[in-house]
Amino acid sequence: MTVPVLSVRDLRVEFVTRRGILKAIDGISFDIGKGEVLGVVGESGAGKSVTGSAVIGLIDPPGRIAGGEVLLSGMRIDNLPPDEMRRVRGKRIGMIFQDPLTSLNPLYRVSEQLIETIRTHTNLSASAARKRAIDLLAEVGIPAPERRIDSYPHEFSGGMRQRVVIALALCAEPELIIADEPTTALDVSVQAQIISLLKRLGREHGTAIMLVTHDMGVIAETADRVAVMYAGRIAEIGPVRDVVQNPLHPYAKGLMGAIPSLESETDRLVQIPGSMPRLSAIPPGCPFNPRCPYVFDRCRVERPEPIQHSEHRVACHLYDQSSARSEAVA
Amino acid sequence: MTENSYVEVKDLRRVFDVSKPWLNRVLEGGEKQYLKAVDGVSFSIAKGETFALVGESGSGKSTVARMVVGLLPPTNGEVVIDGVSMSSRAALAERQRLRRRIQMIFQDPYASLNPRWQVDRIVAEPIRAFRLIEREKEIGERVGELLSLVGLHPADGKKYPHEFSGGQRQRVAIARALASNAEFIVCDEPTSALDVSVQAQILNLMRDLQDQLGLTYLLISHNLAVVRHMASRIGVMYLGRIVEISNGRELFAQPKHPYTRMLLDAVPDVGMTGRQRIPVSGEIPNPISPPSGCTFNPRCPFANERCRAEIPPLLGGVACHAIHEGRLAIDAAA
Repeated sequence: MTVPVLSVRDLRVEFVTRRGILKAIDGISFDIGKGEVLGVVGESGAGKSVTGSAVIGLIDPPGRIAGGEVLLSGMRIDNLPPDEMRRVRGKRIGMIFQDPLTSLNPLYRVSEQLIETIRTHTNLSASAARKRAIDLLAEVGIPAPERRIDSYPHEFSGGMRQRVVIALALCAEPELIIADEPTTALDVSVQAQIISLLKRLGREHGTAIMLVTHDMGVIAETADRVAVMYAGRIAEIGPVRDVVQNPLHPYAKGLMGAIPSLESETDRLVQIPGSMPRLSAIPPGCPFNPRCPYVFDRCRVERPEPIQHSEHRVACHLYDQSSARSEAVA
Repeated sequence: MTENSYVEVKDLRRVFDVSKPWLNRVLEGGEKQYLKAVDGVSFSIAKGETFALVGESGSGKSTVARMVVGLLPPTNGEVVIDGVSMSSRAALAERQRLRRRIQMIFQDPYASLNPRWQVDRIVAEPIRAFRLIEREKEIGERVGELLSLVGLHPADGKKYPHEFSGGQRQRVAIARALASNAEFIVCDEPTSALDVSVQAQILNLMRDLQDQLGLTYLLISHNLAVVRHMASRIGVMYLGRIVEISNGRELFAQPKHPYTRMLLDAVPDVGMTGRQRIPVSGEIPNPISPPSGCTFNPRCPFANERCRAEIPPLLGGVACHAIHEGRLAIDAAA
């Protein structure tokens, strides 16, 4: 088997606060292969964005990586010194954030920002870098790039700005792109354009993409595999079609049922009682147990480890063969 | 319009002056600039019905909502609720009685509740403002009742808004809206700031309350799936105009206007039925200088000379020359 582009092993991220240590990420593992799009989905506070930041080494104090490892094409990157990590970031890992306006410097022309980034990571001359920048803008679908390149960020619309940010992320042809809620600030019609752009780039360049979003629809359209996160852990990970149509974990089931659909008409949406626990008060055992309709004694004491179940990996005692409850939900 | 309509919006129009200051205009030259946020919007809502307005940012849907509740005076047109015109001066007393029955729920439950007030004071405010109940003890009982109605505990009244999660805050906002025995509630993106599982809780609650109390809703949303789940009739807005208006089922089964079709195609599909989408092109134009004729014409694959020159009227529930002329078949939608 080939080495995955990104491999995360038992990653743990903690935040040290006055009230004690908060475990934002508590032992998650996943791989992303070449050209693959992994969707990371979950509600606010599930730890999706922290996962992205941890991979790219942007966890600032009081946060810290407390354990586990991050491998980029087989090379360990979570323990690199800051200046070496800086070279990996941008060159080998690109990042796209939610709000395109805050990821661009409003005082510099788009051309300056693109050319600076290209020249930092490659040894192109200024004129060659400018040509490359124009090519990149054309590739992400900005009309008349040779004219638009000298505009300032505020002269672009939201969708066009997000395209510029994507072009910036692509400057050094990274192996991995981390896209954190890339379409959340955009309207649906523009969102669809950005999604198909990301998909095309992944396909054409073989770039691995980690797509962090709370929008299940975006994941369903874009990702090959999806990881459902809850309270800093992966509840379920598997091929996107399987997870969306046949979720195993009770939380994933609830999440899918809660989404109103355009296709089907339901009278009531599935309702998960309660809300995500605070990081300071994660219940013992399975973190989902107070909200789970299938909860039994073991869930309250023992933390479920991920179990391979057909093509999914699911962290739930219900699917453990040694547990008598396995047929209850099957 | 029908006899039994509870809310009637007639030819509503709102223009904002977005000109530069007078001195700049004199020194730098330049004309006054106007932005037509809403132009010629008419619809009616029957009692106990949910009517939804959908559209992208800048389509004017929130401006309509603000005019309907009276937060913003319309430039032209009028809003008639239960037979009383909201803009006529004569019916002042009646209008004040009517106000009590209209309430609004806003998008951001963090911004719409006073952070320095305890929840029971927030919920009791409409009761006190309209002097619905005089005795303090009875107000307290009513607040407890309202909190239980929206799925909170009466003891939660002693807490401050920051002690609640987003979904619970939106419940408090709903309790406040119901406090004055409102019959008509305008909901401006009530669940956009919430996570999906919490959104499901709030949408279910809104529907339960409608069944229980016979509420009438005007729902403003950009989320087509939410709208489909909630509304019996839907108006699709684009650049300040309603381009299509029809009952919910029909709109989704048989969208007519090219913009509606594009919008439906653009929604990411959770069901993953393998639907082929028509690629979407372009973005909403600048509303200060909208395109001439049909405002959708630069993005429309069916536009012709007439579309670029003449604004299409809303006929048969759709404002599109191509449909009216029979150039575009109604069944053509995927």
